[in-house]
Amino acid sequence: MTYQAGPRRPGQPASREVGSEWAGLLPGRRPPPKHRRPRTRRRVAQSAGIALVASGVLAVALGLGGWTLAALSGRSEVAKPSAGGIGQVPVPRGIGARPPGPSGRRRVARPVKLVIPAIRVDTKLIRLGLTSVHTLQVPVSAAIAGWFTGSPRPGATGASIIAGHIDSQSGPGVFFSLHKLRPGERVYVTRANRSVARFRVTAVRQYAKDRFPTAAVYGPVPDAELRLITCGGSFDYATGSYLSNVVVYAVLVR
Amino acid sequence: MHTPLRLARVYRIIGLTILTIGLFAGAAPASASTGSGWLRLAHLSPNTPAVDVYLYSFHNPKALVVVHHVAYGTVSGYQKIPSGEYTVAMRKAGAPSSSPPVISTTVDIHVGAAYTVAGMGPADGLRLRVLRDKLVTPRGKALVRIIQASLSQHLVTLRAGHSLLARNVPFASVTSYHVVKPGTWVVSARGQTEHTSSTITLTAGTIHTIVVLDSPGDIRLDDLVDAAGSKVAPAGAPATGYGGTAPRPGGSDLPWLILAGAGVLVSIVGVRKATRPAGAHALGGGRSAGTS
Repeated sequence: MTYQAGPRRPGQPASREVGSEWAGLLPGRRPPPKHRRPRTRRRVAQSAGIALVASGVLAVALGLGGWTLAALSGRSEVAKPSAGGIGQVPVPRGIGARPPGPSGRRRVARPVKLVIPAIRVDTKLIRLGLTSVHTLQVPVSAAIAGWFTGSPRPGATGASIIAGHIDSQSGPGVFFSLHKLRPGERVYVTRANRSVARFRVTAVRQYAKDRFPTAAVYGPVPDAELRLITCGGSFDYATGSYLSNVVVYAVLVR
Repeated sequence: MHTPLRLARVYRIIGLTILTIGLFAGAAPASASTGSGWLRLAHLSPNTPAVDVYLYSFHNPKALVVVHHVAYGTVSGYQKIPSGEYTVAMRKAGAPSSSPPVISTTVDIHVGAAYTVAGMGPADGLRLRVLRDKLVTPRGKALVRIIQASLSQHLVTLRAGHSLLARNVPFASVTSYHVVKPGTWVVSARGQTEHTSSTITLTAGTIHTIVVLDSPGDIRLDDLVDAAGSKVAPAGAPATGYGGTAPRPGGSDLPWLILAGAGVLVSIVGVRKATRPAGAHALGGGRSAGTS
């Protein structure tokens, strides 16, 4: 931070000396206060610099803050459970559900509760049918999930279907974090007779709604499987609908 | 400048983490769910004693699965296994695994397909048959096929209610799948001297194999559910979101990032202005004066 251009002669102010030197070098006449200019310029430059830094830092802070808020606005309640209490969701206890025998005739009770500890889901299950236009009925409340009564019961041979909302009009729904499930994580379904079917996640997929794989999701499978369905991708405000679905594939643990 | 720098680092780390998670999400399910099929094993030879069933990955002498003491009439559950070629071998129950098998066959497991490997026929003519099991039903229908494994009744006719399922099915044969109207049916089987019936519920979207078995002094039916899906697949994709957590329209990140970027530039200019040596200022000033 030196403003000294050369050795200073004793008794002479630095600015004057520097100023006079330049005055000789520069063409044209300079107004009398010109010789004071460097110090003034220095101060102006310094304060301008500091002001710039300050406004720059402010802009960066505002920008990053705004970006963070924009990114998290809807998704700010990620860590909060949408149903049940704060903290870990306890693994349900009950009679271990036996996998269906080779005959597949074993009757299993209807499902009443779904627990997914990894994403803190703990919800009762309602019954879902088909709408008048043959689409899958969805729960009226975004806070609970439902089992499609047209699909096999969880734990019986076949692909059992459970659907829930990713969000309501104001905040996260029961399956808000469904896309975060990873293969190997556990899903528990409690049946009306208090028996518990344990499932292991095998895949998490996202599909565009116009390319929803109906056969893969609802079609027959030879073992006891579970499909958890919610919405995902971007939201189309024109139609009031998400453009994709998230499907979690799980298989009964033997 | 420390805070924005640290923030930037934090955001970079968050970005990398998200990318890594994304990559794993893309890679993991592919290996977990694709590239496998289903296999089940059955002993359907009436006068063949119990066997030990071995499953080998092709050319690998070490057995993947050994099922001990499988008796007549036993059908295992389906096992999900990686696609590829396998060998199924049957040895007399309790025989050492090094002994030559009574019978063996190879089965080529295709991705997403289901197979039944069944020991069939009389003991002196035992064969291992590889059956491809269907996994698709016509919309709103059930599928049924018959495995005739009764040696005492050489020809068996089966009916669901009054409608014919299959006429005069010979011993050790398998019918193709029949499309059946869903419902609960009294399924009857009639041989030359014996007959039996069983109440079987055939739900839409399910696939059944009905096995005719010898039972001491009688015949009986075993109803196997090969596969099950939804009775009727719902149309379209489920509407499972109201958009309450979706980014607002026009709520793009871009303006915020531009503001942050502009801030960084302004800060750099400011720092340079505030810290530039006096000589540089003077020269800069001089040059501008000279050119004006």
